[in-house]
Formats: sequence, structure tokens, C-alpha cells
Amino acid sequence: MIKAISRGGQFGAFSKATAQAIPPPSASVLVPATLPPSSKPLVEIDRALLTSDSLGKAVSSINNFGVISGPGVTTQVRFAHTDVKVPDFTAYRRDSTKSPTSDNDKSLGSRAAFSYLFTAGSLAGAIYGGKGIVHAFVTSMSASADVLAVSTIEVKLSAIPEGQCVTFKWRGKPLFIRHRTQEEISRERAVPLSDLRDPQEDEVRVQKPEWLVVLGVCTHLGCVPIANAGDFGGYYCPCHGSHYDASGRIRKGPAPLNLEVPKYAFTDPDTVLVG
Amino acid sequence: MGLAGTIYQTLFRRSSTAAITIVIGAYATERIIDEGSTLLWKNYNKGKLWDDIKHKYEK
Repeated sequence: MIKAISRGGQFGAFSKATAQAIPPPSASVLVPATLPPSSKPLVEIDRALLTSDSLGKAVSSINNFGVISGPGVTTQVRFAHTDVKVPDFTAYRRDSTKSPTSDNDKSLGSRAAFSYLFTAGSLAGAIYGGKGIVHAFVTSMSASADVLAVSTIEVKLSAIPEGQCVTFKWRGKPLFIRHRTQEEISRERAVPLSDLRDPQEDEVRVQKPEWLVVLGVCTHLGCVPIANAGDFGGYYCPCHGSHYDASGRIRKGPAPLNLEVPKYAFTDPDTVLVG
Repeated sequence: MGLAGTIYQTLFRRSSTAAITIVIGAYATERIIDEGSTLLWKNYNKGKLWDDIKHKYEK
């Protein structure tokens, strides 16, 4: 019985509208709901014959036509809701697939390209935005321009007389620039490495023999040594009695290392750039 | 098949080429937006920039 009524295929709308309707199984009403044979949909919409629904509706207007059963029709059971309309999504579909006769494989490339290009464009924009955020955070860690501006000093060497040591402030620390005499140079070059606590040749500590550039921070506990003092004619730290020679090397006292030599360069014969 | 179809077949059909396309596209987007906006800004502020008055102060 059910099969005979409901097997309608794409003509189901017609067969259902004219045949007996079955109430939902949960309904406790014993009398089956029936529709008058002449019942029409409440609103008739004039639409293009593009879907099985619209085709079926068009066929139902022919009198005495209906397919009740057959090998190619479904066994779908519809209950009393014959006024439910199948929605028509034509407005949302791509133009190339609207026609029932269109070959959708042919338009696959252009349809897929649109979707993928949209995704790729969004992703590229998102990557650009993400890069901007990361860049802002990373550059916030680098030194600012005012810090970089005071990170180097330039010293005119002609202002420093021979045999004198002048102190400058560089990056918050004292910087010693010593104009060494010929006697001091030959004395430091003659010191054997075996006499030194932190063995270092004088040649590797200076770029030009006349000019010694060292940080004025004692390597023991960070006091500022006094120039031209101590047993070795170089520097003497008053805090705990470390003696440095005229090459800034530790010779006596508690300090473990030689005075630090910063990075410097002679930009011209009269100028040294430290930092 | 047209241009769009060719783009799909060559670039987006495989995930590997799609990923490479997106990365290169992001770099191209960055260059175009950054350089383009700088160019626009320089054009708008023509005559007020250091590059325009530098010759008065530098030898």
C-alpha cells in the first residue's frame, strides 16, 4: 500500500497530491488525513524548470498522468505535509551550473580557481598582518636611536701629551687613553710572558704602540685605577692594591685579568673612534 | 579552460604548490603595499623631505 502510493520519483508531487496521505506514526488520530483530489498548492510560483521539484510541478498540471511505481522510483514516504515547498536555491548557484544540461566538469577550473584564490588572498593578507605584529615586537628589543648615538666616542689624540693618561666617559664607564713614551713601549715589549698572570703580548693589546686604549675598570672588583701610579709605572687600584703596567696588564695584587681593551679604530692619524 | 582554470590546474590543484603560492603571494603583497604606500607618501610630501632639501646642507 505504502509503496504504491509513494513511489513517484520526480512525479511524486503529483502522485502524492492525488493519492491518500498517511498521518505521522506518532499521531494518535485514528482517522487518516485526506486531501481533496483537487487541492492545489497555496501559492503557485512561476519558475524555470531546473530542478526535479519544478519539473514535477509542471507535469502535475497534465490531467490523468502519474507514475505510481516502477524500478527506477524511490520508496520515499511523505506524510501529510504536502504543502511544504522544496526550496529553490537557483539564486545562490554559480551561473555555469544553473542549466541542467551544463557540463560541470568543464567549468570546474574556473569555479575552483575563484574559491582557492579567495582563500589564498586572505591567507596572504593574514601573513602580512602577522609579520607586521611580529616585526613590531622584535624591533622593540633593539637599541633605540638615542642609545646608539652615545655608543661611540671620538677622541682628538693631539690633545693628549706624551706620557699622560686621559680619562673619558664611554658607555657609562671610564676609558683610559694613554700616550706612551718610547721608554714605556720598549719596557713593555721586553716583559717575558712567563712573568705575567694573564699572559698577553703588548703587540696584541695596542694597535699603535704610542696609544694604549683600555677600560678604566679594575678586573678585581670594579674600582677605577689611578694612572701613572703603582710599582710598574702604569695603573694602581687604590681599593685592594692591584698594580697594572703601562700596557694595562695585571702584575701584582688580587685582580685576575688585564684591563679590558675595547673595540676601537683610528679614523685618521689624529683621531680614534672607540665603540 | 581559460585563465582561471589554468591558475587552478597549475597552482592550487596540489597543496604543496598552493602553499608556495601563498607564501610568495604574501611576500609580493608586502612589497607592493609597503613600497606603494611609501611612494604615495613621498609623492604627497614632495618638497618637504630631507632628500629634497639635502643639497642645501650637505657638500
